[in-house]
Amino acid sequence: MSRTYTYFAALIGVICVAFIIYMLFFAHTRTVRSDVVQGVLIGFGMAFVTAQAYARLKATKVNGWITMFGLGVPGNGMLLRAAHAQLFPGPVNVPQEAMYWWTHSDGASHTLSGQHDYIMHFPAGQLPPNDAFWSLTMGDARNHYVPNPIHRYSVGDHSGLAQNPDGSVDIYIQRIAPAGHESNWLPAPVGEFILWLRVYIPGQAILDGEYKVPPVDKVR
Amino acid sequence: MAYEHLLIFGGVCVATWCLVIYFWPRLLLYVYKRGLLVKGFGDGPVPINTLYTQPQALFADPLHVTLPAGSSNLMSVGTNRDTLYVVGWLDLSKGPLIFCVPDMAGRYYSVQFTDPSNNTNFAYVGKRTTGTKAGDYLITGPGWKEPVPQAVTRISSPNNSVIVIGRVFVENNTDLPAAYGLARQMQLKPLSH
Repeated sequence: MSRTYTYFAALIGVICVAFIIYMLFFAHTRTVRSDVVQGVLIGFGMAFVTAQAYARLKATKVNGWITMFGLGVPGNGMLLRAAHAQLFPGPVNVPQEAMYWWTHSDGASHTLSGQHDYIMHFPAGQLPPNDAFWSLTMGDARNHYVPNPIHRYSVGDHSGLAQNPDGSVDIYIQRIAPAGHESNWLPAPVGEFILWLRVYIPGQAILDGEYKVPPVDKVR
Repeated sequence: MAYEHLLIFGGVCVATWCLVIYFWPRLLLYVYKRGLLVKGFGDGPVPINTLYTQPQALFADPLHVTLPAGSSNLMSVGTNRDTLYVVGWLDLSKGPLIFCVPDMAGRYYSVQFTDPSNNTNFAYVGKRTTGTKAGDYLITGPGWKEPVPQAVTRISSPNNSVIVIGRVFVENNTDLPAAYGLARQMQLKPLSH
């Protein structure tokens, strides 16, 4: 759901619609072969645009975090399945087993980049409700892991996060280790990056859509 | 103005439109099929009806393992950092398979059974659905009607092809050998009469 990808999908849509209008009103001498070839190409383009548009319609976006409900659930419908495949490409879990969120932007909708420092602040008692565990994973612009001196690629409830005195939890997402907060450091790359939040056996508040994932806030 | 040309173009266009949307999940999972059965994840292709367990080194530090050329990176890119993966591609057309899980002693694990024709998960084995005690499960393809052996739970697949994805929780690097040992004990065997 990056901006570039949205523009790309929109461009394909405009080309397809323009071509269909051209076919309706301006086409003159044609062969059956070009009818078929162009029909397949335009059909492909329209399918891509439809799936992308429907994915944006059905995605839940809160504080920059994107998720979708109904992933992998039997009977979820062919249009929704195609939409799921756009934003969550893979054989992922059903919501009751695990929920996934990803983001490439901070709370103010700016693209996440290692040029800045970020804090993800979970207020006391606001960690993701679950009956198993949760984690926050770093990926570079191509979703690859990010090399760092302490070989840490994710943090979560089993990585030894320290609590603030008031019970809240801050995760420091930055390129350089935050002095005094190393246990809560999620190392970022030099360039742009994305984050994945996974919650296994999510609590009812998540399944009901009531739980709001806190934003990733830029501090520098 | 030849209307038959419009009809041909329009018909082909709408048909392609619907077919591509319908088959998109299947095309997507074809990448996984190829990764499993053709490319493999570093130890060669994963034979059909067998399970591949993500090696400890790949889980511990995916950036410091070099995969042989031609391997699929599906086990080292975009994966979670919480669970070891156990993956396999089943073909039930020659008969059902027995899937065995060991006693996980309370440890979180899940095994999703995915229909590759539409990317939906028709069954789960794991802490949430079946608990963490040892168990045997009979995975049957469509149309299988013979009696189920005793002490075995049946899982009916709507398709003869099935993707199995197991996830076994790893608390930290110290816990990794224990988790790996359990993950390795997940097994598939044919139903013998």
